[in-house]
Amino acid sequence: MNNKELLELEKSALEIRRNILRMVRDGKSGHIGGALSSAEIVAALYFNLLNIDPKNPRWIDRDRFVLSAGHKCLVLYAALAERGFFDKKILDTYTDLDSKIPGHPNMHKLPGVETNTGALGHGLSIAGGMAMGLKMNKSKARVYVLMGDGELAEGSNWEAASAASMHHLDNLLVFVDRNKLQISGPTIKVMSYEPLDERWRSFGWSVRIIDGHDLTTIVRSVKESPFEKGKPSVIIADTLKSKGFSFAEGKVDYHYWKANPEEVARADRDLNIIGEKLKVKSENIADDK
Amino acid sequence: MINDLLDPRKTFGEAVIEAAEKNPDVVVLSADSSSGSGLGAFPGKFPERHFEFGIMEQGVIGFASGLATTGKIPVFAAIAPFVTARPYEMFRNDLGYMNQNVKVVGRCAGLTYDQLGATHHSIDDVAIIRTIPGVTIINPGDPVTIKKAVHAMINHIGPCYLKIGSPKMPVIYPEDVDFRLGKGIVMRDGTDVALIGTGTVLSKAVEAAKLLEQAGISVRLIDMHTLKPLDRDLILAAAREIGKIVTIEEHFIAGGLGSAVSEICSQEFPVKMKMIGIGDHFASNGPYEELIGQHGLQPAQICETTLKFLTT
Repeated sequence: MNNKELLELEKSALEIRRNILRMVRDGKSGHIGGALSSAEIVAALYFNLLNIDPKNPRWIDRDRFVLSAGHKCLVLYAALAERGFFDKKILDTYTDLDSKIPGHPNMHKLPGVETNTGALGHGLSIAGGMAMGLKMNKSKARVYVLMGDGELAEGSNWEAASAASMHHLDNLLVFVDRNKLQISGPTIKVMSYEPLDERWRSFGWSVRIIDGHDLTTIVRSVKESPFEKGKPSVIIADTLKSKGFSFAEGKVDYHYWKANPEEVARADRDLNIIGEKLKVKSENIADDK
Repeated sequence: MINDLLDPRKTFGEAVIEAAEKNPDVVVLSADSSSGSGLGAFPGKFPERHFEFGIMEQGVIGFASGLATTGKIPVFAAIAPFVTARPYEMFRNDLGYMNQNVKVVGRCAGLTYDQLGATHHSIDDVAIIRTIPGVTIINPGDPVTIKKAVHAMINHIGPCYLKIGSPKMPVIYPEDVDFRLGKGIVMRDGTDVALIGTGTVLSKAVEAAKLLEQAGISVRLIDMHTLKPLDRDLILAAAREIGKIVTIEEHFIAGGLGSAVSEICSQEFPVKMKMIGIGDHFASNGPYEELIGQHGLQPAQICETTLKFLTT
């Protein structure tokens, strides 16, 4: 990925964060912590990696993205809107009656949503079935899953992990958004999953640990997957909860946030600062030419 | 042949193989459960279309959902409580809420896993699965209709739950019986009482109807093989024309066929009802025929309960 491509992805991640803020800014509440921590992962997928067509969201050979941690839906809506799957005005309907963007995603309400998730520990099994079906259909499409680290305490995930390796689903790639916080506190204190890489490896997966905010590494890692032929891949992405909203970063209280005018103003400022930096970077890249 | 005793699981497995021969999208998922579900021959015939998962029923429901998104028609058969009560949330969210074209089959349902005890009985499956919007529930009462039910559910687009028993069961219907999802079958017509039976105890209801006729009672006997969507027209016709309904099921009275029938009648045409089934307690264990006798499901008991109902 060259500097220009990287810049474009950084801009996409910024717009995703802006869209996340847009959905909740008017005094609404939402799971911003895990949405913001996974913004780079989702930006890399939707703006570089996924083979998808917003005009034909049910195209049979599309790559699939399964948001197992359904409460991170704000990041999914933000990316789908930015990618042109639906009119951005829909972002302003969050929490409205019959909104197409409910507090957990619904595939029947919004184009581009692949699964109805929300209850944790469901996404990996569904994604495994998709990967299996795509292999049967001789499709080159791949299946990507975004899981939370708190979610990993659900035993159903490990049933799915066993089956995915047993059936050699190397067209399946999981991101664990390891932001290390869940609603009650630090994840390793609530229910430790460490050593997480060894745990996945022992289930027959090929594992990488990366900085989940480093777009270059995210893109390169995915392009190098499957890391081992015949094995499903997992990328453990170390992230910062609520990344991008300085007042909320790394704080458990912002797992679920009720927007208030003071903090919305601070979030606006934070994002504008990132925007200014990207503008300078953009000019520098233009000057280089 | 009528009255032949056939193994419901074997019948089911043969029907799935027939369906798979016709439809290349049919795939079978096993939670270490295919061989016990009459599907022992399936992996040999269709090795690429049979997936073994081991004992992980909740995960299998999710995999089935994902497979269905790619155009497959997954059939997942295992012991009934393990595909209903255990993975209920997966059934509700991954199949019902996502409206996926998956066929879940609970075998050895009701009390047919007799001496194995309450962990293996499935007398709440209809109650819990029928709360899930859009799921079709089929509970056929003889080998002929088990076979027809398999083909009907494969041809139906949407999530289905089929339940079958395990002991051999008598053939009640001729091969050409008109079996349609959502349409109950009037097996005999009468004017004094409507008996509505379903599933594994349909044959008991048939025998009970004969005893009642011998006692001079004119019986309308209905096979309610589809429990959802329920044949409301047939139920309301029985309510209007006869006014007395007895339901017979190998299931908790709470939430099963009787409840479903009363939900319709009590609101649209209230009539006297008697529900024969299992009360608010876990069933015991022991030989099947004796076990169902503890819950009044033998023909003579059904006859006696009905006679008492008609005279009080």
